[in-house]
Amino acid sequence: MDQLTDVLTAISHPSRRAIIEQLAAGPARFTDIAKPFDTALNAVTKHLKLLERAGLIERKKQGREVLISFQGEPLRHVAGWVHEYERFWNERLDQFEQYFKDKKGKKVKKKR
Amino acid sequence: MTTKTIEVKLERMIPAPPAEVYDAWLNPKIPGNPWNAADKFVLDPKVDGLFYWSLKGTSHYGRFTEMARPVRIEHTWVSPNTLGEESTVTVTFQKQGGDTLMTLVHSGLPDNDRGRGHEKGWNYFLGIFTEQFGNS
Repeated sequence: MDQLTDVLTAISHPSRRAIIEQLAAGPARFTDIAKPFDTALNAVTKHLKLLERAGLIERKKQGREVLISFQGEPLRHVAGWVHEYERFWNERLDQFEQYFKDKKGKKVKKKR
Repeated sequence: MTTKTIEVKLERMIPAPPAEVYDAWLNPKIPGNPWNAADKFVLDPKVDGLFYWSLKGTSHYGRFTEMARPVRIEHTWVSPNTLGEESTVTVTFQKQGGDTLMTLVHSGLPDNDRGRGHEKGWNYFLGIFTEQFGNS
């Protein structure tokens, strides 16, 4: 998968967005991140793995602790991609392409 | 103040020869081109010809700057989403066997990531992705 897909997957889940919001306020330890969640610790681990794969978090060793911090750059790429006109032209071109596909389909049927 | 701009580039393979695709792009009766979606439109597809179209109360204006049938159409594009500035839409039609590789580039778009347009874009895409990956 490309990074854009990884980032969109990462921010598609409310729990992961909550983690991003929490980390945007400053780095935190795993136990601090897991505290607000009423789920098993391995579910939090899974969420963090997806965020890490998307490049949205970074783990850094500080003494005996591991601090997890938020990295905002991948979100900027998404914002640049999801422009109003990207959506608009995609919809237009999908319809345009479909028109010709339907037309070609009808021609093939007639020939038979 | 200089506004940072971005570019949107999209490609489609259309199963028809370039001349047919070129003509269809300027024919308001064909689904998919901008004029077909309009509630109201004016279209004069020649160099220095103007167009206007509105959709749900949002007006778009432009001027054709290049018309090279069947390979290239270029026109300006002004709307509230471009903050009143002229952006540029270039559509090229490249023969690929019996098909046409159509490339649309919309450049000079303001990178207004706090703008209303972006918000809509975000909601749209995130809505889809939430449905698709919401349970992952």
